[in-house]
Amino acid sequence: MVLEATMICIDNSEWMRNGDYSPSRFQAQADAVNLICGAKTQSNPENTVGVLTMAGKGVRVLVTPTSDLGKILACMHGLEIGGEMNLAAGIQVAQLALKHRQNKKQQQRIIVFAGSPIKHDKKLLEMIGRKLKKNSVALDIVDFGEEDEGKPEKLEALLAAVNNNDTSHIVHVPPSPNALSDVLISTPIFTGDGEGGSGYAAAAAAAAAVSGFDLGVDPSLDPELALALRVSMEEERARQEAAAKKAAEEAAKPEKGGEQQPSSQDATMTEGASGSASEADNKKDDLMDDENALLQQALAMSMDDTTSGHDVRDTDMSEAATDDPDLALALQLSVQEGDKDSSGQTDMSKLLADQSFVSSIIASLPGVDPNDPSVKDLLASMQNQSQKKDEDKGPNEEEKQ
Amino acid sequence: MSAESASAIHRNQVDLSDFIDWSGVECLNQSAAHSLPNALKQGYREDDGLLLESDADEQLLIYIPFTQVVKLYALVVKGPEEEGPKTVKLFSNREHMGFSNVNDFPPSDTAVLSEDNLKGKPVVLKYVKFQNVRSLTIFIEDNQSGSDITKVQKIVLHGTTVETTDMKGLKKVEDH
Repeated sequence: MVLEATMICIDNSEWMRNGDYSPSRFQAQADAVNLICGAKTQSNPENTVGVLTMAGKGVRVLVTPTSDLGKILACMHGLEIGGEMNLAAGIQVAQLALKHRQNKKQQQRIIVFAGSPIKHDKKLLEMIGRKLKKNSVALDIVDFGEEDEGKPEKLEALLAAVNNNDTSHIVHVPPSPNALSDVLISTPIFTGDGEGGSGYAAAAAAAAAVSGFDLGVDPSLDPELALALRVSMEEERARQEAAAKKAAEEAAKPEKGGEQQPSSQDATMTEGASGSASEADNKKDDLMDDENALLQQALAMSMDDTTSGHDVRDTDMSEAATDDPDLALALQLSVQEGDKDSSGQTDMSKLLADQSFVSSIIASLPGVDPNDPSVKDLLASMQNQSQKKDEDKGPNEEEKQ
Repeated sequence: MSAESASAIHRNQVDLSDFIDWSGVECLNQSAAHSLPNALKQGYREDDGLLLESDADEQLLIYIPFTQVVKLYALVVKGPEEEGPKTVKLFSNREHMGFSNVNDFPPSDTAVLSEDNLKGKPVVLKYVKFQNVRSLTIFIEDNQSGSDITKVQKIVLHGTTVETTDMKGLKKVEDH
């Protein structure tokens, strides 16, 4: 994410008509330039990129450093091939353009596409390199196209003169079926820019490798559209993958759902016991009704489900036991019920019939006076279900308390 | 007489390194290993082993902005006998100069450093030219022996600050 102002020097000389890079050297160069511009502007929104041509009638600046990607791509249209490249002049003009950049905080960088043979001598190139270094301008050289005697050495000498702490790079690209841009993506010209650039480049590379011209749009005719299509394809693929993952997860969920229910029932049971006793009382009243059957089923299921159910019960039971021995008794009884049979009605009533147990629970109820007439009535209604003997016991015990 | 005037000038000078805006300090053509803080920063510049060295050729262009307006009185440049700087041109209040346009403007002052200067004797500057300095550009044109690398051990700026309002001290006046 280095803040940078970049000038790209394009070789649009006659040597670029050659077709040893697909579709032609000039096209391959244009694609690479588009990619670089995109990567630079994406890695840092304040980066600026400018373009100039080195051949033709003379060195001509097509666009001064700007962060507007559209402007840059637009000026790549309608470029004509002709003339001879003037590397020295091109670099010097690029340096001048960078010197007059608006944001002086930007680092200066020049990217040169050297496709034609180089007619300058090594000394001149070294001098230029030193001048660039003195003014802290970094230089990236793309050596492609014509393979001349001494061209690589000259360019290496230029790089050595400029290079300050590995900020400058050179890439030699021989002719191959791979596109020039694909080769450049893996080089420090892209990756040296940091993480942002490589993200964009990776997406573009993936799309390029798969599709090529599959998008139905010729990138040379409409590069912005081709680029946009590539990116949207990538996004769509990513979205589909995410959706597929979610679907797989949801399919797994219903299986777990059944298991979760008994354990939640257990939780409610134990909560009822270990919480306030009034809740336990209410629970028992409720259990007299239809829900009782359901609960018993849940208990039965949880007893079968040895792994989770028991663990939950065991831990909760131990917690409850520490609080109140009566509650522990209740829990034990309820466990025993689950073990015994499914029809809970009679068991529940047996439990309630145990008057000592009921009265102790009522006594532990906060704010309930056992001698309160309403409580007595309630008890009486419960007692009606049990035997006469217990009825006699009950009131006596209550009066005692 | 000269001693008197020299002492008169030195009376209320302070070392201006406290007022340097370090975020904007730049040095062109410095070598990566031997960079400007070696010559400018308090701790490093006292060490004569830590040098600021030039890289591609013998010239150096140092840009120093200040956090407030200052008046410059004198400059100390310490360096080795052979590779220490010789001709030093100073430009006040010129932003972002490059080697190509150093010769386009007349410098605010030029100093040719002698051996004594290189040992630490301050160079007194043209007082009138440095009354209202926001930034200083030091252009080291060549060195004593004409070698390819210029080495500087220490750069100290002496001067005073101009009374400027400390914005932090301003308090908002309540309207009643």
